[in-house]
Amino acid sequence: MLRFLVSLLIGLAVGVVVGLYLGWVQFPVEFVDSPASSLAERYKDDYIVMVASGYLKDGDLGGAVERLRILGVPNIPAYVQEVTERYISNSQNADDISVLVALSESLGRLTPIMLPYRKIAAPGVGS
Amino acid sequence: MAGYDSRRSKYRRPRRQVSWIGLLIGLALGIGGGLFYAWTVDTRVEFDTDPWQLKAADRAQYVAAIALSFSYDGNLNRAIQRLIELRPQNDPIQQVADVACDLATTGYASTSSGLRAIRSMMLFYQLQGRTGCADNLIAAPEAATPVVVIDVPTPTPLPPASKTPTPESATRATPTTPRVVIPTALPQSEYEVVGINTFCDDQNSGVIEVFVQDFSGEGVPGEAVRVRWDEGEDTFFTGLKPERGPGYADFQMEAGTAYIVEMPGRSDPTAQPLAATPCTTDGGEDAIISYRVFFRQV
Repeated sequence: MLRFLVSLLIGLAVGVVVGLYLGWVQFPVEFVDSPASSLAERYKDDYIVMVASGYLKDGDLGGAVERLRILGVPNIPAYVQEVTERYISNSQNADDISVLVALSESLGRLTPIMLPYRKIAAPGVGS
Repeated sequence: MAGYDSRRSKYRRPRRQVSWIGLLIGLALGIGGGLFYAWTVDTRVEFDTDPWQLKAADRAQYVAAIALSFSYDGNLNRAIQRLIELRPQNDPIQQVADVACDLATTGYASTSSGLRAIRSMMLFYQLQGRTGCADNLIAAPEAATPVVVIDVPTPTPLPPASKTPTPESATRATPTTPRVVIPTALPQSEYEVVGINTFCDDQNSGVIEVFVQDFSGEGVPGEAVRVRWDEGEDTFFTGLKPERGPGYADFQMEAGTAYIVEMPGRSDPTAQPLAATPCTTDGGEDAIISYRVFFRQV
């Protein structure tokens, strides 16, 4: 009986390890109906570039902020600034950088590193 | 005796170290329990998801952003690549038409920015030869200002008199009728909104700062600015805080309220309501988002 119980426990332990490996690594749950806040960073970045391009097209800053709200970040201007500076630091596509800089500037977040990529001048900021 | 010794009784068989039955039962229970725990109790934290995993509402926003981006750069390959990342069930371009159709039937189309996004989507799929129900639900953008052509006859001046009598011409000069084009333009605004910026500052929380400038960018004092919201409106004037410039005026918002800003009778109202929503400052302080609205003479 003791032999059986010991074997059962060993099997149980090995089984739990195998089960967790399968459930977490090999065949993890695939989420659907996910919020945009859980998007991978590269998709979030791409989304911000798209919204910034749209902003340059229609000049609707309120609409752009509303579109970015689905990313669930607490401070949208700070987040746009962070992404813009990361794009510049990583030497990403210059066109993408310039649209991000334009959006960041309109959100009041124009920093010295962005100046070379400045495309449009926000009217009278700080005046 | 020898026969007795050679007999293999269960007491004389060599004992195995493990019970295979116990091990198998334990393994089955363990794997089952592990999978249950991993899939149900403590699923892997959701992060690094792909666009195809988005819920319908966020997916629609993603599609709208793709169309808006296309309307800016016209890069079809990039737009298609982005649409493919959404793993559409059918034609990726038709997916845009379907999403535009869905959005056109919701309140999304009641805002100007939503309407613009839907029109961008319509432009995108129409250029690729697709159609959708949004074509019938959303009116085409306003046509160009209609032009009325009025023919105004102008008299031909007579030639100066000369001493030599001019023989009567067999044919009389006909009056020329140049075409004068008078456009029926809408009444022009004197000012237009040229920029709306946001900022988050706990010392200056929930404020609409208005800057009224002439065509050269100089502040204009004494101009009326009106702010409207659901339950009321307020009118104030520029130049009452000269330390901020002659064209400056401000208005304190209430949290959770949306405001329209305009110069009554002299400008169109802001296209988008300015919502007094919470924000977090760089220093981590909670505040209400503030706006800077720029009106410039046209």
